[in-house]
Amino acid sequence: MTFRQARWEEPSIWDLAPPRARETPPPVAGVPERFRRKEAVRWPELSELEVVRHYTRLSQMNFGIDTSSYPLGSCTMKYNPKVSEMLARRNGAAGMHPYQPEATAQGALEILWRLERILTKVTGLPEVSLQAAAGAHGEYAALLMVRAYFRDRGESETRTEVLLPDTAHGTNPASAAMAGYSTREIASVGGCVNVTALREAISGKTACFMLTNPNTAGLFESEILEIAEAVHEAGAMLYYDGANLNAILGVTNPGRMGFDVAHLNLHKTFATPHGGGGPGAGVLAAGEKLAPYLPIPRIAKSGRKFRLDYDRPKSIGKIKTAYGNFGLDLRAYAFAITHGEDGLKHVARRSVLNSNYVGSRLGKFLPRPFRPLVKHEFVLSGAPLKDRGVRTLDLAKRLLDEGVHAPTVYFPSLVEESLMVELPETESKRELDQYIAAFERAISDTPENLHAAPRSLSVRRVDEVRAAREPLLSWKDLRAAGKAETP
Amino acid sequence: MRIPLRSREPGSASLIDLWPAPLPPTRGSRLSRWIPDEPGEEAALLEALGISSVDELFSDVPKKARIGRMGVGPGHDEAEVVREVDRLLERNRPLSRFATFLGGRVVPRYVPAAVDAMLSRSEFYTAYTPYQAEASQGMLRALFEFQSLWVELTGLDVANASLYDGATAAGEALLFCRRVHEGHRFLVPASLPWEEKSVLRNYASGPNLRVEEIPYDPRSGRLDLDFVRAAVQAHDVFGVLADVPNGFGHLDEGILDLKSTLGDVPLVVSADPLALSVLEPPGNYGADVVVGEGQGFGVAPSFGGPLLGLFACRREHLRSAPGRIVGATLDADGQRAYALTLVTREQHIRRSRATSNICTNESLMALAFVVYASVVGPRGLAQLQTSLAEKARTLASALGGIEGLQAPRFDAPYLGEFTIEVGRGTAEAFLDRLRRRRILGGHRLADPRPGAPKEPERILVAATDSVGDREIQKYARAAKAAVEAAGRNA
Repeated sequence: MTFRQARWEEPSIWDLAPPRARETPPPVAGVPERFRRKEAVRWPELSELEVVRHYTRLSQMNFGIDTSSYPLGSCTMKYNPKVSEMLARRNGAAGMHPYQPEATAQGALEILWRLERILTKVTGLPEVSLQAAAGAHGEYAALLMVRAYFRDRGESETRTEVLLPDTAHGTNPASAAMAGYSTREIASVGGCVNVTALREAISGKTACFMLTNPNTAGLFESEILEIAEAVHEAGAMLYYDGANLNAILGVTNPGRMGFDVAHLNLHKTFATPHGGGGPGAGVLAAGEKLAPYLPIPRIAKSGRKFRLDYDRPKSIGKIKTAYGNFGLDLRAYAFAITHGEDGLKHVARRSVLNSNYVGSRLGKFLPRPFRPLVKHEFVLSGAPLKDRGVRTLDLAKRLLDEGVHAPTVYFPSLVEESLMVELPETESKRELDQYIAAFERAISDTPENLHAAPRSLSVRRVDEVRAAREPLLSWKDLRAAGKAETP
Repeated sequence: MRIPLRSREPGSASLIDLWPAPLPPTRGSRLSRWIPDEPGEEAALLEALGISSVDELFSDVPKKARIGRMGVGPGHDEAEVVREVDRLLERNRPLSRFATFLGGRVVPRYVPAAVDAMLSRSEFYTAYTPYQAEASQGMLRALFEFQSLWVELTGLDVANASLYDGATAAGEALLFCRRVHEGHRFLVPASLPWEEKSVLRNYASGPNLRVEEIPYDPRSGRLDLDFVRAAVQAHDVFGVLADVPNGFGHLDEGILDLKSTLGDVPLVVSADPLALSVLEPPGNYGADVVVGEGQGFGVAPSFGGPLLGLFACRREHLRSAPGRIVGATLDADGQRAYALTLVTREQHIRRSRATSNICTNESLMALAFVVYASVVGPRGLAQLQTSLAEKARTLASALGGIEGLQAPRFDAPYLGEFTIEVGRGTAEAFLDRLRRRRILGGHRLADPRPGAPKEPERILVAATDSVGDREIQKYARAAKAAVEAAGRNA
């Protein structure tokens, strides 16, 4: 396939209609003179068509799942069903205010309530809150819940540490630190938790062990029950990072594996779109010990009526305005009832089948540092490319020229020059074979061409070092540096 | 049509409560069009792997960790799903059925169709975070424009590419202040919405910081600056937050002089972006950080999410800023290009020493924000804010003479919102009576938690773009009747 991305010579929006001399906005009745803006906001006055053309052209210089296969490991870039987009835009959903009286929002509350019930069954944990805006937000809230739990038990002074494997997502240690914990990483063996090392590290100081299973090496932590036992023997909590839940739907669940609390990413497993970086929707699921600490309000059902329940004295309180990203919860609900029991199980089975198939094929080109049986994703090492003077980054950029997105690169960090590949259940064998062929063309190309990639996109290789060394972060910066078309 | 299904797990919610009835068998047997199922496809994949069943791929899951069935119901085809969701949505009574005076951080404001059309470009909405800059110039450029707009509105130097919502942006601002200034106390107005105070207390709890409330003048709602001065002199304050308009909807002129009281203690201003189209940029009166809720620019209220957290700070504090930032640079041909930058602040590089744990943000809503502002234009934004302020004044004068109702409650300037206080009966009963006349009359300001201290019966009332003189007069008549009815019941 020959691929060419649109390459519009599209100016920045302010250069389309350079703002003229800025007038003072007309006075607003009752606003004190000192509070008034003296100069109108410096932004262009454009026709609607000009704005639409501008952003349409920008959109054509962007990869999405709808244009390209998108094998980003740990991101679960599956098809975002169109029907969910349609439903979330219904007036009965989009046109609802969070502070409407409960009596006027029974449908919205019921959708949240139903999705929570479904997610209790998916996670095997008895209570769920949908308030978190994203996965990391859920991690953070869960750790605050853990902290509150130990405070109530008089152990907050002693349990000051969170343990995690070196394969953990970066959000895990960052969330733990924000929640006031020190963090310690446990070295993995063969890509999995070293249970002996964990047993040695864990102590009365440990509040929580954070784990994603399957982990970021794509491997199922087969010793999960022993891990849970070790954590619980020490009186600590076991936290489930649900970023990789897709691979185990209907096979096992966090509750059965012994986790006390979990977050899920509806924007991964439940197919809500990533929006170019967000919005996401986080789920908090808690076992009996931590459930009383979930954020308020909880959705309660009394008879046939749904209401917001604020009467949870142990709750950590609010973690954001309103009740979570309802628009995405609705999409996730539609996804769940479309698939149902068998469909959700099939999601896991097909994503694991896809990943093992592509892994076995790409393993011919690059070494796989861990065992071949993987779940949702697999890891390759680009280290041998260095003999040809090529790096994983070059391969990633060259793949873009094939019209496919690059894998996640340089993560997990315990693998040299790593690539992490995930092709979820929505990719057909045809697409997988095209991806494998694209990978083969890319890796077989000359070092010169790999270094020069990409050539088919709207820009050539972007100088990220310069971006960090001389930060130009807005139009204002460009003006100040004399680099703006419109001063 | 609803055939009762028996729950498989005793004691759990009955499935009939959450699951539509199974498909009629005539609907076909495909599990879903979303998982490819061409005949022979799965067999070919298995054959390539040299295995006979997908089960073999799960041999690494120990038997004791496996589950039988999850206990969710059967799948449905698309038509059935649409019917089911629509049936649920019909139980909602959306804003369009009411004269709407709801406001606060989430605003019901008309979104031009062009904005949603741009959000619906699937190159944008089905993309991931633009880590591969070359494949993502469209989103990077839109985010760079978004950052530039928030910089212009706030008068500060650097904006990030969004946070979850206004409340969490305030939370991140609190942690940011602690990174750039010593101390343990963070001051916020007592009039701040209770939800935001609760979120801030959670953000403060990790590093054991204290959130303290600045009292307000009971007549005007203005911040008690003597309290702030005394607190700052005690040398343990690492930041002060003030909101524009404040939680009562009013403008507090004292904020314009607040920075001189604070000295080098950082000032965080939480500002409404529409208000900033007509108000002095907070950067001009000393704000070190400006946060805000951006949902009102092009994002539907959608029962409270997704929203949009806005964050800007001064250049000298750039490396303490949370979240992703897009920067301009050059490509290998020396042409202008864009990339995520200063990533060493972030969790995927810095891990436990990152400035924030945020990864997924609200990029698509940031796109909505900049498309909305560009479609409406700076003059249009100022005109919209002016017209809302005029409506609010009309509403205030219509409510002003009603006995048993203080409207506005506070004697201070305002834009499109103000607070009223119900003197007879409860705010809840007042709003309930209005609702029966198809008016959403605002929302109660009190903390609804059972243990919360008793607060006055106050309601935040907003003039929205969907109400006109007729709705305002209707509100006034209904309010008068509601207060009179409460008086009779007393």
